Amino acid sequence: MAKILVVDDSSTVRDDVAGFLKGNGLDVATAVDGRDGLAKLKGDAGIRLVLSDVNMPNMDGLTMVEKIRGELGNKTVNVIMLTTESSPSMKERGKAAGIKGWIVKPFNGAAVLETLKKLAA
Amino acid sequence: MTEQPVSKVLVLDDHPECQGAIKQLCDAHHLVGLKVRKNRLMAVLRSNIDLGAILLAEDYGGSAMASAEIALQINTVRPELPIILRRTSVPTLDDVPEMLRRVCCAAYTLQDTSPLQRAIDEYIFSVVYPNALVRGISEITQNVLAAQFKTLTPRWHTPYIVRDRIIFGEVFSLIPLESSWCRGYMMLQTEEAAVLEALNADRHVPDADFREVNSLLGEITNLIWGAFKNRYIGDVGATCCHPIQVPIIVNHRQKYISFGSENPQLCFRYTLTDERSGAEIKLYQRFVFNLSWSPEDFREIAHDSSELVASGELELF
Repeated sequence: MAKILVVDDSSTVRDDVAGFLKGNGLDVATAVDGRDGLAKLKGDAGIRLVLSDVNMPNMDGLTMVEKIRGELGNKTVNVIMLTTESSPSMKERGKAAGIKGWIVKPFNGAAVLETLKKLAA
Repeated sequence: MTEQPVSKVLVLDDHPECQGAIKQLCDAHHLVGLKVRKNRLMAVLRSNIDLGAILLAEDYGGSAMASAEIALQINTVRPELPIILRRTSVPTLDDVPEMLRRVCCAAYTLQDTSPLQRAIDEYIFSVVYPNALVRGISEITQNVLAAQFKTLTPRWHTPYIVRDRIIFGEVFSLIPLESSWCRGYMMLQTEEAAVLEALNADRHVPDADFREVNSLLGEITNLIWGAFKNRYIGDVGATCCHPIQVPIIVNHRQKYISFGSENPQLCFRYTLTDERSGAEIKLYQRFVFNLSWSPEDFREIAHDSSELVASGELELF
């Protein structure tokens, strides 16, 4: 089964989002920041979708995406940002890095579940 | 609910015949007068009541000497609180004992309240907080709280101004706010036990411990901060050109936090109530713009409605 990687420094968000996705039959892995997310992605070829926060310690979400595309050379994994941020410049940076979409927190799982399933397939 | 912040003041005055006039003064100046029994005064001052000032009668306690001793004790326990002396003779501190003059910031009489007005303006309402900002913060925070605690009822209380530096509860978060018109911090304070109870009951986290409380408070802070930035700060890259910082001092024993500035702080209190059990979480939110404050440059970010995507919805690129 394709897997979704949830990257967020907040355990509250990780638990909420991962719990929701698991409860809806999806396979989920979690990471605590961008650096951890990069490592998890490198070690797990089954991950098809990354759902990531932007503001995180050690490595922010947008830098992580740039490294996924650049250092890892992974052009296929879908990335959605799940963040409190909604500034146009950040979205532009995300688009340039090749993200697929943007969700402004709080997470409303029911509204996005079907799309996430498609992106993770 | 008014958007005009008020401030709580402790009224230490034994004269029943003056109480009506003092209440009128308080009402006229956006003050909420609180009374306390003498034997509870120090306990109240050491508690978590946010105050803006003390209104002290010059003979409180039965004599000028007793009143002066009380003023000194107040100044020792809560030196950040201005003490405003009500006198019967003249509205000045010129002829009061030196030790009392040192700890009082102004004197007034019921016949001449202009020094009181000046002291309130100078010490309590010296910082102007735009109504749109006050209203917006309340809306943002209420929405975040409602989303995080779906079975609890959030309420916000009239915002207020404090000079206190006391910390409420056992856990607080702190996040910088940086923009072209403000630089400072937002602080959220709450009690661990109440949040733990809610986590167990509302969010079904049976083995929740302080780490879950910390994480939840952190996420609430993050959500409010994000919404604040989106609404009031926008894309301004303010952080790159402000090298100035000052140390923040926390004294755990005194439950005291100092941001290095005497500026009055903008405070909000929210309660989250479980209507079935009556259990309640109190959340205190403080805005401390200690590094810069230019309300004349304050503005809400105008979003193009076609660009707006509701929270929780996915914007696909």
